[in-house]
Formats: sequence, structure tokens, C-alpha cells
Amino acid sequence: MDELTREFLIESQEGLDRMEQCLTNLEERPRDAGLIGEIFRSVHTIKGTTGFLGFKRLEKLAHAGENLLSLLRAGKLTAGNPTITGLLQLLDGLRSILKTIEADGTEGAGEDGLLIGWLEELQAPAQAQVMHPAHAMANIHPESASCAGAVATPPPAAPAPVDLEPVEPVRTLAEVEGDPSRPRTQGSAAESTLRVDVTLLNRMMNLVGELVLTRNQVLQATSADPNMTQLSRRLDIVTAELRESVMKARMQPVSNIFSKMPRMVRDLSQSLGRRVRLQVVGQETELDKSLLEAIKDPLTHAVRNSLDHGIESPDARLAAGKDPEGTLTLKATQEGSHVVIEVSDDGSGIDVEKVRRKAVERGLISADRAAQLGERELQQLVFLPGFSTATTVTNVSGRGVGMDVVRTNVEKIGGKVEIDSRAGQGTTLRMRIPLTLAIIPALIVRSIKQSFALPQGALSELVHIPPEEAATAIEWIENAPLYRLRGKLLPLVFLDRLLMPGVEHPIDTQKGAFIAVLDTDGRRFGLVVDGLADPEEIVVKPLSGVLKEIGLFTGATVLGNADLALILDPGAIALKAGVTLREEEPTCADEGENADAYALSYLLVEAAGRQAAVPLADVLRIEQLPFKRIEYVGNRPVLNFEGQLLPVEDSDGVLTAAEGNPEAKIIVVVCREGNRHVGIAVSHVLDVAAGSDLFETGTDQRTSGVTLLKSRVTGVVNLGAVVPLPAGQQMPAEWSQRAETVA
Amino acid sequence: MSTAKAALHRKKKKAATQVEVCTLLLGTKTFGLPITHILEIVGAARPQPVPLAPIYVGGLVHYRGDVLTTVSLRQLLNMPPKEGKQDLLVMESSGEIFGLLVDSVNEVLAVSSADYETNPSILDERWRALFAGAYKLKDSLLVMLNPEQLDPMRLSATRAA
Repeated sequence: MDELTREFLIESQEGLDRMEQCLTNLEERPRDAGLIGEIFRSVHTIKGTTGFLGFKRLEKLAHAGENLLSLLRAGKLTAGNPTITGLLQLLDGLRSILKTIEADGTEGAGEDGLLIGWLEELQAPAQAQVMHPAHAMANIHPESASCAGAVATPPPAAPAPVDLEPVEPVRTLAEVEGDPSRPRTQGSAAESTLRVDVTLLNRMMNLVGELVLTRNQVLQATSADPNMTQLSRRLDIVTAELRESVMKARMQPVSNIFSKMPRMVRDLSQSLGRRVRLQVVGQETELDKSLLEAIKDPLTHAVRNSLDHGIESPDARLAAGKDPEGTLTLKATQEGSHVVIEVSDDGSGIDVEKVRRKAVERGLISADRAAQLGERELQQLVFLPGFSTATTVTNVSGRGVGMDVVRTNVEKIGGKVEIDSRAGQGTTLRMRIPLTLAIIPALIVRSIKQSFALPQGALSELVHIPPEEAATAIEWIENAPLYRLRGKLLPLVFLDRLLMPGVEHPIDTQKGAFIAVLDTDGRRFGLVVDGLADPEEIVVKPLSGVLKEIGLFTGATVLGNADLALILDPGAIALKAGVTLREEEPTCADEGENADAYALSYLLVEAAGRQAAVPLADVLRIEQLPFKRIEYVGNRPVLNFEGQLLPVEDSDGVLTAAEGNPEAKIIVVVCREGNRHVGIAVSHVLDVAAGSDLFETGTDQRTSGVTLLKSRVTGVVNLGAVVPLPAGQQMPAEWSQRAETVA
Repeated sequence: MSTAKAALHRKKKKAATQVEVCTLLLGTKTFGLPITHILEIVGAARPQPVPLAPIYVGGLVHYRGDVLTTVSLRQLLNMPPKEGKQDLLVMESSGEIFGLLVDSVNEVLAVSSADYETNPSILDERWRALFAGAYKLKDSLLVMLNPEQLDPMRLSATRAA
């Protein structure tokens, strides 16, 4: 294929993508001259270029479309539902021909007579208008009024509303672009961007990675020489900035995949007989290109599911007292180093009883177990492989290969999926995606005298077994090692025995061992390693096929000290060690509701001589850091935690006491509160109080705020009371008042 | 790499049939590889072992931003592993880059294709795949390795069979 044709294909595809987006927007604003102009230009450009390149079939089809569009543009016709459907068909037709050209360089032998005929038919009302303007108005407006909604219907004499840019029935592209009244934004956007081959970007990313490593070594080698220190510091800064820019170059707005959704929602809701309004929020949020590709399928699936199982038919909605038109919301937001993508609908929600029944029917869980599960736990069952509640299999969804695929795909790229549903009110599917695939946070662990990287996505907690307890802490049932984690038995996998079978691996009597508690694909187990190193942001390098076949490693990485480390695959380790799938553990996203299910454990802290308790399920991390890391917004202390500013609660004056000593070590407990993070400054972290003790006291742990821990009445920190940051003003902290301790 | 330079200075007697061969040492044995398949020679590599990998995998090395899988020629030829540093040949075969670990890289020889003979028929089956004939030098035979067969993916396929 010659350069010209290739160029034409890329350009046309982009034009058609824009056209698709405009068409779906046009449905809401049928009189938006800007949209019509944009669509017209896309089709016109294709027509113009095809004539030049000699693609007759494409030219003929584009010409038919252009005729219809020029009527729309001249205001002689209003874009009603049939017209838009026709134009969408045109879009598909053009796309399929382009695909054939891309594949073999020819237009293929297809026949477009039917489509062209239809497009010509759609022009008919316009001709009627030319002859009888008064009748035409009556013909066209009922159609447009239903779509236009709030848009004021302009008098038929004026081609376009005054507040929109005037569109003259120009016939050539040159004239359109020459029009001085046309905004220049589109042109300038094209001029300031550049098309770059992805492989080139990948190569640049690799080189930058290499540069980072070389820099690390230079920094180490030159740290003694004061002259070189200056230079190497400069190198350090430039490298960091270069790396960031290259990463940015790989980022694309999520609108690239969101823009495909309106069309899909439109087609699906028509074929399913639903009325759906699509809301899109946060289109400009950016994600790494490869990740964007990876979430395309899960997202499509989630949207299909919402339409098929979520949003009810208009009649059913009316009967339930809802707006017959359902709302489907796609929302993308950035939270620290993650992008959260939500697909929510206001449909019927998940019927947990049906889920319970189906799960037992399909043998996914036992009937006894199903009877014990709470609402939230039952909802998570939809992620089990082979699950489907649909009574009939439709061509949209319900084949039982649904949500588990969504979860697998998202977890493959280091993300997480949660579902949150309220019966009768709707369902929200939340996908947490790391910002880039190439760089992931990982914990470096040591085993068999090597370093391994453990992706933090699967890591839920770390347990240290001191050497003197090593013999007793790990218990055995025959050859199955187990550990009692807060009263529950956790299956263990010894990394050294897994990687070097057939060799004795005694536990180090000097340092003991560490258990990394991992949670992956619904499998929960502890991975026993010899040691832990610092967490690191690692650059993932692919492994060759022969090493992928081992199945335990997802890649390799170069550590800060220039050592290589293999990246462990927690899911594969679980499989290989035979850790079986167990029923979903509830996630800790919202407290309150299922507090009784898991919030039985508390982290016991001391702040300025008083004891307080934080629900353990909400604790993300305990950070010990120098006082100088604390910054102030107004008079509120804040902490920069993984790129997020979190308010630090300091009602006991722990921070005040450290003032003036920037090196003083302070402890901040980082907690999750709803969908934000808050920090609590404390003097000491004392202990974790076991849940069973609490249970026996029979106190109400939900909201009262006071509980009996270690036979002392202890206040429970009310995380919700920590004032959010933008409020700016310091409020009297509720928790300190409640955290009175009675000895 | 100095050996490569030395080779450039070597005078070529019969240009049309001259082949340049990189010679490698492995214990007391010498092998040859056509230099056309070698991208780079890296001295003193310290490969990171990969647990559970096939026996012929010598480990991973960091090479220009990529992580290379290496093949240990010693382990491939059932020789005892060598302590200490080894030389690494970065090779390319069917689009994939991999490393070959040898005791040391010796020199680049210009040999005449007239001195070449294919594998003898009495050669053991397992060697026949790895070797690609030999050049008759004045005082010894230079056994050639078949670069296509050293690719770890290829090795895993032939070993499994």
C-alpha cells in the first residue's frame, strides 16, 4: 500500500470517529450547526480524496451521504431519528469499505445500492419543503421537537438559531476552511499535535528506563566528589523530567473509549426496548494507551450488562415509580496513582436472593454457606466464573462469561473491580486502574537469596513472625501449613519451597520470617518469605516465552541497586500451590452497613497519653515520618501521601509538640473514609485488639463510638468527623472528645 | 571486543570464500559462531538465576533497557557450571534477542569455506541439532554452533519433544 493511501486511511478513520461522536450528540441537539458541519466535513473529505485515489465505490456512497448532509446543513431538513440512523448506517458502510481497503488494497465487491437508496429517500421531506414550506414545517417539526427537548425551535425561515454560528450552504471544503467566522480551535489542535508510532514511544520509554538506571549509578559513584554532585544532581532532575514527559506522551484521554459508548448504548437500548440517557463525566481523565486498550472490553461488557440486566423496560420503570428513561453514567476520575472508572445505572439493582439461588444452583457455593452470606457478600458472587442470573441467554449478555471476565481483565493490568448495588435503586461497577502499566508499585521481598517483586495490588497485609515464635506460629495439618490470622486459619505458601522444591528450607533463626497476606481472584493466602525490602515503583520488563511458561512470573524489573528481580504473579502462585477459590471476602469500601461483618478489629493507638481505637478495616497504612513532611494549608496540617493531600487530624496536639523540630519522628495512621483518605497523628501505635473479645462484651460497635478494648473503655475514632480539606477551617475534633479513656 | 578489532586488521586472502567466525572457549573446548548472528559481546556478565527455569537457561541479564534471557552453553552441553564471571554474547535469531553465556570469547578468525564440512553422520543425535559442521584448521577442528538452534524458545520446543 502506498504512503498516500495509508495516510488517507488514518485520516478517514479519525474523521469517522469524530463523525460518530457528533452523530450521537446530534441526536440531543439536532439543530447544532457546528455538529452538522463537522459531520459534513468528514464525509466530504473522504469523498474528495477517494475520487483522487480512484475508489469508486467509496466515492459513490460518500456522495449519497454528502447530499443528505448538505440538506441538513442548509437547514432544509432536521436531523430526526431516522436520519441519524441512516447516517450511522452510512458510517458503518464507509468503515467496512475502509477496512477492506486496509486489508487488501481493494474496495471489495459489496453492493451499496440499498443504503444509497435509503439515504436518497431520507432527502425526500426536504424536497417537499422546497415546494411547500408551510407543510414541510408541519412534517418535520414533530420529529425534531421530541429530540430537541429544551432547544428552542427556530422559525423555519432562519436556517439556524442566532446563537449558533451561521452556516452557509457552502459546497467545497476550501470555502469552509476559509470561513473567517469559524472558530480556529480545531485547526490549532491539529497543528500542535503530532502522530507518533507507538513502537517508537515504547522504545523511548525503554531508553528512558535505561537512563534512569545509569543515573542511579552515576549518583552513587559521584556522591563523594562535591563538584560532580552538582552535575549529577542536574542529571537527576533532567532524567526525572524526561521520564515524566515520555510517560505523559503515552497518555490518552479516556474519551477515546468513552466516545464509542453513545453509539453502543443507542443501538443496544433500541434493540432491547429500553430508554436510556447516557451521562459521561470526566472524559479528559488520562490513562496510558495500553491500559486504555485493555479496559475497552471490560467497559463494553459492563455497559452491556447495565443495559441488559440493570435498567428496566420503560413500563417496568413507570410501574416502579421511576422516570421511564433510565440513566447510565460513565465516570472517570483520578485518585492518586489510580484512575477510577465507574459504570452506574439507576436500574433494578442486583437481586441478592436471585444471586443466592443461582450461585447454589450452579454449584458455585454450598447452600449452607449461601445462607450465611450478607447482602454485600452476595453481590460479589457475580464475579465468580460461570455466574449468570439472566433467565434467558440474550445476544447481549447472560452467557455466564460476564463479570468474571471483567474482573480477570482488570486484575491482569493491576486494577481492581468492586460492585455496589442497591435493590431497586441501581448498580455501580467501579474499576480502579493504575495510571500506567509500565510502572507499578511493588513490594520487594527476599527468598532463596534473591529479590522478587510482589505487586501491591494483591497485597492486603504483612505479618512478621519473630524467630522465637517461628516454631509455634505456623501450624500444620499433615503437610498443609497454616497461620492463625485474627482467629482465622490462613493457608500458607512457602516461596522458597515453591521455587526450589526438593531442598530443605529451614526458617532463619536470626530474623524469623514474614508472611505477605495476598488476596487475588477470591483466593486468600499467606506467602512466606525470608525478608522484606522497601516498596519500589518498578518498571515492568517482559520475559521471553520460555520463562513465561514457568507460569509464576509476569515479568522482570531492574531495581534501584541495578539488581534484577522477577515479578511474582500472586494468582498463579495460588493456583500452583492449590489454594482453592473461596467465597468472596467483603471489601472494606464502606463501613457502617456491614460493620458487624468485619469491623470487629481495632487498631489501638495512643495520642498524648490517651488511648483511642481506629477500625482496622479502615487503616491503610501506618507511616512514621519526620515532622518536616507535614505541611500546612491555612492552619490545617496536611500530608502528601502517594501524591494525594490528606488532612491530618491532630486534636491531641501530637504535631504541636513536635513543632520546631523538623527531624522529630511522628506517626500518622492513614485511614480510608468513604472515598477519601485521612490521617490521624498519634504518639504510639499500641496493638490490634482481637475481634472476639469485642464480640463477647456485647457492646454496640457500630456507631456508639465507645468500646471495651483490653478491659479499658476506649473511644473509637470517628473518621467521618475529620474535616475535609477544602473546608479550610479547623473544627473541634469530635473524636478526641469521645476518646476519653477510663482506666 | 578487542578481538573483533583484531579481526578487522586481519588480511583476507580469498575474499570471496572467506567467512568470519567468532571463537569461544568453554573449558578446554573451542567453538565457533558466525559473527553475522552476534549483536554485541558483553564482558563479565552476572546473570540473575531464574528458579524453575529449564536447565539450559543461564538466567536474566539487563541489556540496554531490556531483560534478556540467556542460554548457558555449559549447561546446554551438560558441562559442570562455572564459578565466577562469564562472557555474554548478545544474539539475534528470528527477531528475538537472547544471550549466550560462555566461559570467554576468544578471537575472530577468518576461515575459508573450502575447509568446511557438515556434521559427520556418526555424531550423536543431541549434538547434531546444536552443531553446524566444522572447519578444518591447521591443528584442530573448529566445531560450529548452529545459532538458530540456540534460541531459548527453539530449545524449549526441541527439548520437550
